[in-house]
Amino acid sequence: MSEDEVKGNFSKRSSRWKIILAALVVALIITIIASLDIGFASQTPANMKLAIPQISFIQILYILGKQIPFVGNKINVSAVFTKPGDLASAQNIIMLIRLPRILAAALVGAGLAAAGVIYQGVFRNPMADSYLLGVSAGASLGYAVAILYISSALTIAGLGISQAFAFIFALLTVFLALLIARSGTRIPVVNLLLTGLVLNIFFLALFSLLEIRAGKALGEIVAFTLGSFSSIVWTHVWVVFPFVIVGIALTFFFTRDLNMFSMGDETAQHLGVNTERVRIFLLVIASLMTAAAVAISGVIGFVGLIIPHMTRLAIGPDHRILLPTSAVVGAMFMVICDAVVRVATGASELPVGVITALVGTPVFFYLLKRRKTSYSL
Amino acid sequence: MVSININGVECRYGSIKILENVNLSVTAGDFVGILGPNGSGKTTLLKSVSRTLKPSKGAILLNERDIYTLKNIDVAKQMAVVPQDNTISFSFTALEVVLMGRNPHMERFQMETERDVAIARRVMNLTNTWHLASRSVNELSGGERQRVIIARALAQEPKVLLLDEPLTYLDIINQLEIMDLIKSLCVSEGIIVMAVVHDLNLAARYCNHALLLKSGKVFAAGPIDTVLTSENIKSVFKVEAIVKKNPVTDSLYVIPLSPPKTSVPRNCSIHVVSGAGTGTVLMKTLLEEGYNVTAGVLNVLDTDFETAEFLNIPVISEAPFSPISEKSCRANLDLMSKAGFLVITSVPFGYGNLPNLEDALEAVKRGVQTYVIEEEPIASRDFTDGKATALMEELKKQGAVFIKHASELPALVNANHDLMELRKNGHKEIPGHTKKVAKEIVQPSCHKEPS
Repeated sequence: MSEDEVKGNFSKRSSRWKIILAALVVALIITIIASLDIGFASQTPANMKLAIPQISFIQILYILGKQIPFVGNKINVSAVFTKPGDLASAQNIIMLIRLPRILAAALVGAGLAAAGVIYQGVFRNPMADSYLLGVSAGASLGYAVAILYISSALTIAGLGISQAFAFIFALLTVFLALLIARSGTRIPVVNLLLTGLVLNIFFLALFSLLEIRAGKALGEIVAFTLGSFSSIVWTHVWVVFPFVIVGIALTFFFTRDLNMFSMGDETAQHLGVNTERVRIFLLVIASLMTAAAVAISGVIGFVGLIIPHMTRLAIGPDHRILLPTSAVVGAMFMVICDAVVRVATGASELPVGVITALVGTPVFFYLLKRRKTSYSL
Repeated sequence: MVSININGVECRYGSIKILENVNLSVTAGDFVGILGPNGSGKTTLLKSVSRTLKPSKGAILLNERDIYTLKNIDVAKQMAVVPQDNTISFSFTALEVVLMGRNPHMERFQMETERDVAIARRVMNLTNTWHLASRSVNELSGGERQRVIIARALAQEPKVLLLDEPLTYLDIINQLEIMDLIKSLCVSEGIIVMAVVHDLNLAARYCNHALLLKSGKVFAAGPIDTVLTSENIKSVFKVEAIVKKNPVTDSLYVIPLSPPKTSVPRNCSIHVVSGAGTGTVLMKTLLEEGYNVTAGVLNVLDTDFETAEFLNIPVISEAPFSPISEKSCRANLDLMSKAGFLVITSVPFGYGNLPNLEDALEAVKRGVQTYVIEEEPIASRDFTDGKATALMEELKKQGAVFIKHASELPALVNANHDLMELRKNGHKEIPGHTKKVAKEIVQPSCHKEPS
């Protein structure tokens, strides 16, 4: 390749990144709108006890359009509905059931994937995922504790008590890991990895103990570990929204630092990165995003592992583009998985974690087999 | 003008002291080689200068300011490090890696500018890596990757360049090119270079200063010529070495010699007749086998004479380019007669050194066991109109053993020596091994039974 070609390709990179990102965002919006049209109401009305009318794609667009400020008033939704009753129930289905659910799925997917990017970048290992420091085990334990021992009527900041407990326990686990792994003023990466691993096992053991004692609540507890969006309401969306959006935005400040981390800790430092501080800051952000996501949807595996990995293969390892694209791809992946869940097995929904695992496991093994070099810690 | 001062630095890993009271002051344009055996603290010193291992005592000053009070980013604007380990986790392209060297000079949200790419291109041309620009670093060979890493360090436009074993993966031409490049930057742009180097010859050639470490302490420091002496090398590396000025590169060069084998001294001396380097290896080998070696007559300035001097071998010498005098001749015969064995190497004979052969003949007649190494037929190295050839014939008649190659000699001499020792001590039974060698090698030749 000639010099000018290399240089040309490189200077075009910035605009290429913008195009890729814009295209992915458009694809995400289309996916979200399309998945609004997926559900029992339109697909299998015969199975439903309630007579819910089919909702057409045009009708969905009209309902959504009505929500847009200023412009919305000019849209006459009833024009596309034959019966006024259909309009009301369709509006309820779209706006109160499907839209919050799909948006929650998108936010959770984005948060988990972004957290995965951070974990993989900080630990310099593409086999790391968003649950590396025990967030999932901590959240599961907190959830089970709340379900079994605390009145379910309580709510904290819009979350049910069990969700709040999941969030708090998840964060406690991470801080415990950071605290234990600390050696003087530094947190050695290997210490942190091993501490996370052991805490994960320990909290899962406690969780299993609660499972044995759970009795009738067992199903609910186990369901949490596989994840689901079936009981999402708008409050959940508003709770998880700031964590994911602010988290990704803050991380974006440090994407070039994440690139430096790939060169090794000491080299990152020699290139001007305050490695210790940036690492802890990013791990805290990633953990907050993951904990918030897990709190509303349960433990959904593989998204934080394979989405960053696949995205990296497609667009390269530069975190300045890897972070936003992974987040968008993660959102899209989760919306699609949830759509599959909603139609795959009729009224008794599969947990969404089963779908991500079904897709994720073979993809992961494929990536493992095709890798060229071994990964170091 | 950039400067680095290392003031009384002590470094520890936990409770183990790695460095003790290291002092050094380096100014712009210095190329400092950090030398020393494994585990002497070279890398530790470099780490503490590069701000990754804070000294437990003392301070490191960059431009008169304690480097540990500065921010990473401010240090990175002035100092670049080429580490020993350069694994890169994700498959960045070579150009992307080199551009990371621009990081300390970029604002937080700034993308790489045309200027940054131009700088990357310049340093990649210097390190001969521009053609690798769009290749993934993890697909490069060790040497290519090493050059990319060096380019990344240069892209930082550093005032101080620290290198930890920068040449590990490089072949000989790349070693020279990289070192030439760094040296020229050091001289023309006045940057400070501090490099951990294992190859003393490369250090001698490129460094103007050196710091020689021994178990965490400075053993010697200063201009390279004063640090790199055979005495220092012997006491720090425990290796005998010849240090000389190379006339071509006008720098010192070091020839390390293998550590001497510690063999049981044999109470037996061997006299070597050689010259023009034919006896150099032999003398060392026989010494290592535990014999007392003597040599002569050799002219001063002859390679074998220098070897004998270096190895502390007693030698009968003659003035340069002079024929062997009566006096030397007698002294030589004296040594020969006292020796247990006499060895004549495959040296050419002229009228100058012919007396050596005459002496040898006399020694054989007196009963000294004699071995003649004949790697070249005597006819081709006889410059005495057949006199040397005639003497050789006579030697053969008198019982000297002729062998084809010098490498056969030690086994032969050893076997014969062991046989003699055993007989002397009144052993009737001779161990199988000695018997076998003695039978196969010694017996067929018509040597005299030792008395």
